[in-house]
Amino acid sequence: MSTPLSKPQIISHIQKRLNYTVFDSKWIPCSAKFVCVGNFARGTGVMQIYEVQQGEAQLIKEVEKPKPIKCATFGAASLQQRHIATGDFDGNLNIWNLEVPEVPVYSVKAHKEIVNSIDGVGGLGIGDGAPEIVTGSRDGTVKVWDHRQRDSPVVNMEPVEGETKRDCWTVAFGHAYNDQDRCVCAGYDNGDIKLFDLRNMSLRWETNIKNGVCCVEFDRKDINMNKLVATSLEGKFHIFDMRTQHPTKGFASVSEKAHKSTIWQVRHLPQNREIFMTAGGAGNLHLWKYEYPAKRSKKDSDGVDVGVAGTVNLLQNVTVSTQPIASLDWNPDKQGLLLCSGFDQTVRVHIVTKLNLV
Amino acid sequence: MMDVFENCSTTADHRESLSKSLDVPVECLDYGYIEKCKDVKYLEKILKVLRSGEEGYYPHLIEFCESHLEKLNPKSRVLRKANPVATSASLGKDEWNQIVDELMTWQEETKNTEMSLQQQSTHDLMKEIPSIRGSTSSISLSKTSNAKEKGNSSKRALPRDYQEWDKFDVEKECERVDGDVLQSDHPPAVKIKGHAKIKTEVDVSLLTQQERLLLANREKDKGNEAFRAIDYEEAVAYYSRSLCFSPTVAAYNNRAQAEIKLDQWHNAMTDCQSVLDLEPCNVKALLRRATVHKHMGQLHLATDDLREVLMEEPQNAVAIALLSEIETLEENQPEQQRRGKRILIQEEEEENDDSNNNMQAQAFLAEPSQPVGGEESSAAPGERGDMGNAQKKPHSRGDRGPHGDASSSHAGQWRSKGASSDKYKVTPHESKEKVSNGTSKRDSTASSQTDQSGSGKTTQAGETVNLDAPCGALPPPLARLKNEGNLLFKNGQFADALEKYSQAIQGYTDSGIDSPQDLCVLYSNRAACSLKNGSSHDCIQDATTALELQPFSLKPLLRRAMAYESLERYRKAYVDYKTVLQIDTSVQAAHDSVNRISRLLVEQDGPEWREKLSEIPLVPLSAQQHRREEQPSAEVLQARAEKAARDAERKAEIRFSALKQEGNEFVKKGQHQEAVGKYSECLKLKPEDCAIYTNRALCYLKLEKFTEAKLDCDAALKLEPTNKKAFYRRALAFKGLKDYLACSTDLQEVLQQDPNVQEAEKELEEVTVLLRESLANDSRGKPRKTVPITEVEDDDEEPVAVPNSAGSCRGQDTTINFHPTCSVEFGQALNAACVTGNTAACSNLLASTAPEMLPQYLSTQLDGHTLSFIVQALDSHLLEKDTNLVYQHLNHLHTADRFSIALMLMEKDKRRHMTHLFEHLSSVESTEFTKNDVQNLANKYK
Repeated sequence: MSTPLSKPQIISHIQKRLNYTVFDSKWIPCSAKFVCVGNFARGTGVMQIYEVQQGEAQLIKEVEKPKPIKCATFGAASLQQRHIATGDFDGNLNIWNLEVPEVPVYSVKAHKEIVNSIDGVGGLGIGDGAPEIVTGSRDGTVKVWDHRQRDSPVVNMEPVEGETKRDCWTVAFGHAYNDQDRCVCAGYDNGDIKLFDLRNMSLRWETNIKNGVCCVEFDRKDINMNKLVATSLEGKFHIFDMRTQHPTKGFASVSEKAHKSTIWQVRHLPQNREIFMTAGGAGNLHLWKYEYPAKRSKKDSDGVDVGVAGTVNLLQNVTVSTQPIASLDWNPDKQGLLLCSGFDQTVRVHIVTKLNLV
Repeated sequence: MMDVFENCSTTADHRESLSKSLDVPVECLDYGYIEKCKDVKYLEKILKVLRSGEEGYYPHLIEFCESHLEKLNPKSRVLRKANPVATSASLGKDEWNQIVDELMTWQEETKNTEMSLQQQSTHDLMKEIPSIRGSTSSISLSKTSNAKEKGNSSKRALPRDYQEWDKFDVEKECERVDGDVLQSDHPPAVKIKGHAKIKTEVDVSLLTQQERLLLANREKDKGNEAFRAIDYEEAVAYYSRSLCFSPTVAAYNNRAQAEIKLDQWHNAMTDCQSVLDLEPCNVKALLRRATVHKHMGQLHLATDDLREVLMEEPQNAVAIALLSEIETLEENQPEQQRRGKRILIQEEEEENDDSNNNMQAQAFLAEPSQPVGGEESSAAPGERGDMGNAQKKPHSRGDRGPHGDASSSHAGQWRSKGASSDKYKVTPHESKEKVSNGTSKRDSTASSQTDQSGSGKTTQAGETVNLDAPCGALPPPLARLKNEGNLLFKNGQFADALEKYSQAIQGYTDSGIDSPQDLCVLYSNRAACSLKNGSSHDCIQDATTALELQPFSLKPLLRRAMAYESLERYRKAYVDYKTVLQIDTSVQAAHDSVNRISRLLVEQDGPEWREKLSEIPLVPLSAQQHRREEQPSAEVLQARAEKAARDAERKAEIRFSALKQEGNEFVKKGQHQEAVGKYSECLKLKPEDCAIYTNRALCYLKLEKFTEAKLDCDAALKLEPTNKKAFYRRALAFKGLKDYLACSTDLQEVLQQDPNVQEAEKELEEVTVLLRESLANDSRGKPRKTVPITEVEDDDEEPVAVPNSAGSCRGQDTTINFHPTCSVEFGQALNAACVTGNTAACSNLLASTAPEMLPQYLSTQLDGHTLSFIVQALDSHLLEKDTNLVYQHLNHLHTADRFSIALMLMEKDKRRHMTHLFEHLSSVESTEFTKNDVQNLANKYK
């Protein structure tokens, strides 16, 4: 506050009103284009491609789909193809070629109910190993898909019969630093966070943060897992240091009450994993930086290693809308270019300056 | 997720008075109290109450409270305020322009990247993708029996309605595929040491250039992050990956820094060297190399590097600090020791060679089935797989004396050390065989190297040393003597070692074997002993003998050079070092010594020092060690080539844009002929730039060289078949050539592309008329308009097409519509004249305008500048022609809407024009007005 000029600034660059509810928006890697997905008031789905040109977002393509599209990812696509994977209200997982978006290149009925969240790894040069997509759904299951296998998931994480199914709100890949190791983290409406180890096919860790988990993300997918941020319904977020796992205490964490309303999204800056942005239910964006402690692990009384969490600093906060910001995406190529869309039917491109100075 | 929303709203408001719930009495809401209060938490509460407005609204008190709280705890959460999002207006203009420019260039770049990515999309099919995970066709929910998972779920204390989550249904196949048995027990704590498993080698063969750069950058980012998180080993791993994708200066530099942090001096040195190969004066690399030198005890070299840094950047604080540190170190160090140290470096180099060759030898000797080889390769990646590292470690131990070897029972720790001693045990008969039939050079070098390295390893290996290990063609007793000598040497008993070697040499000559290589090694080793003992003369003698036996062998040469140097016979030392460098350019110590000595020689002998040197022998190619050729590694070479290409490209680019800029300048000034020259030069550099063609076409049009203009437009259209400007200009060219048909076709094309181009429309109308006329009155010949060009270029059109620099030049002397029919047209015409300062045009315009209409036409456009311009025009041109009209104009002008304001805004020196005008006007006799009228009018203009 004292030296506003040295702080990163969040600058509004482009605002584009849309005539539908936008649920997710993603930059197309290696381009100045982005994709918006959502649903029309008449109950159909829509996918639009925009290009940033001279401070304007110009619509390049629009396709209508039978079902509203909830989420999208490029994470499992190759840099050359850049196929987008989407999850819709009907539980379908589709992969589209954006050049010919009329017919999907891959389609599967993945879940019985809406696909809430999707993430990909192994594409775009991020993460060694096979390209895989993970989907989390209201039907309580989390499934991992490989586009080379048509009808069934390669891994399925579901509750046993007879148990109440919890709504899975968010999924994220991580720990994909060689071709065997890989983890999936899932967050549920009851506050559960579960970490599945895909190499050992086991539940590696779980915890409960007492409120619905709206979003989880690893600071980087393709490194030995380092940090995990989980945001919650009541406006808090938790950062877990994933380097040291204590047999009983699990991972050390720090939490911060930041927003007065739900934190819908968290996204780490692709160029610097210690910086991340959270988006809140009141239309505000907060930019944070994680500071490591002097030593990241210590011995507890039994001589077992236990992690030490660091601290988190607020770098900047702005209000961009009165409605929740539902999606957030940093441009993977241009540092500081941020795409966000909210329930006010607007997609915005922001520029965040001085990120290299913090 | 939609119901998240509802949840939020239901949990809301039912709270009582804030002040009660926070326990803040009203008395506390007071300047005095707040000022004294030091309790941050309480202050926060006070602030909350104040802000709630329950006790009334006191903006100043709130402000005061905030500022006080900020003093106590600037990071207090209560102080966080949601700011409105910044816009372009909230930044300085320069800053914003910079951001926008960056964005633009990025957009251009990504477009290109995207294009090239799309072009290469076929590559994708060939790429290997890791296979699919095992399929889940048979999901068994019965895995509940898994002991671990049960244990987990029963331990949960939290009300957990989701225990089933901890079991996870995957069939056994998956586990088999992954080749990992499910661990039944957790290790006590999982300290994740992942970098051991990060692959540092990546297959880049199938990646395109774009992808490589992208990935290299990303891996470097990861390295930087790991570095900042103080995880240097991981950082090194990621930098190595980045270098695999594309070798860059930054990655080398950063890896060097990380290696310095890890005390991996040798690797750091190599990396600095790579940077300096790419960029000879990289300050960071020099600084880092200086640090490495300092830690390796090579203070001289460190000083050299730092001096170089200071030459580049005289203010570099780090370098200055380091230099002074080293100087104090140097003072504390006795001269003798420095000498010794310098020799040490040399030994390092040797050791380096040894272990390299050792590896070679091992690969050669070890049968695949032998545990040695297998172990070596499996251990290597685990130890970060750096050859350099493996070489370095045993050596530095050798220096400091054996320590930390108690743990030597771990096979993995042995690496080359253990491996080589093993080799001695396993291979005797094998290598003998080779000796018996082996005259191949490789054999002998391998064995001669092994014995040296063996000497190093045996010290640590202790009892396991087999002193009877064979050495080349030496008979066992001699070999034993030699090995003993090596051992003693390593232990620092140089005199004893020297004796052993002497015995071996004696025995050798007695036995009469003919194996000059071995004898050479013996002499060379004895030379090393002598050197260590300080008897440089003996060293030189031995080394010379060795060199007679084996001309151009590296080690004896180096040793002799060092001996010469210690005797201060610098010229000879210089010659020897130079010879060494011919054999192997990578001997860093030789490089450094050459530098040092040449400086000394310059001091000693003056500038002609080279003439006093004896001739440096030419090393035959066969003696130059072949592996040196790879020394600037393929990576470095590749990077160099890329860099050179990029440089050339950039230079061309810069020259191109400079030329273009100059050309545009000339156009602005109206010097079309010169502009044509510049543009032509541009096209030599970049024949495929469409904008240049259209620009040149414009110049030709102005010069009325219509044929050339047409040709240029044709060229532009070949490059960009839809270029509007090219069409338009070609139309003008056709018009000039009187080919009205082609002209109208082109104009129609323009209008088809963009129906809003007014000038094209106007032009088209005109041309159609002309076309008709020319068809009808073919016999009459001349159409009325002969030089339509001046009328053609309209005000709106940017005369010079500069595709990305937004309007760096605009509106030059465009022609003016002298017959305005409405205020817009008049305004445009006036503006055009005004911008170019063309008073004649303005007077023409005024002459054709009815004075009564003037105020109406001017309406809102009148400002100080225009007013003075009009006055100037009236004064300088119109006054001579038609004084009455001037009077009329002036008479009406002052009734224009904004006249009084414009008058007020007029600058002083411009007012002088005004008085001039009236003076002139009053001096003219006229029937229309009298002097009094003029005087009255002049008063209105004051």
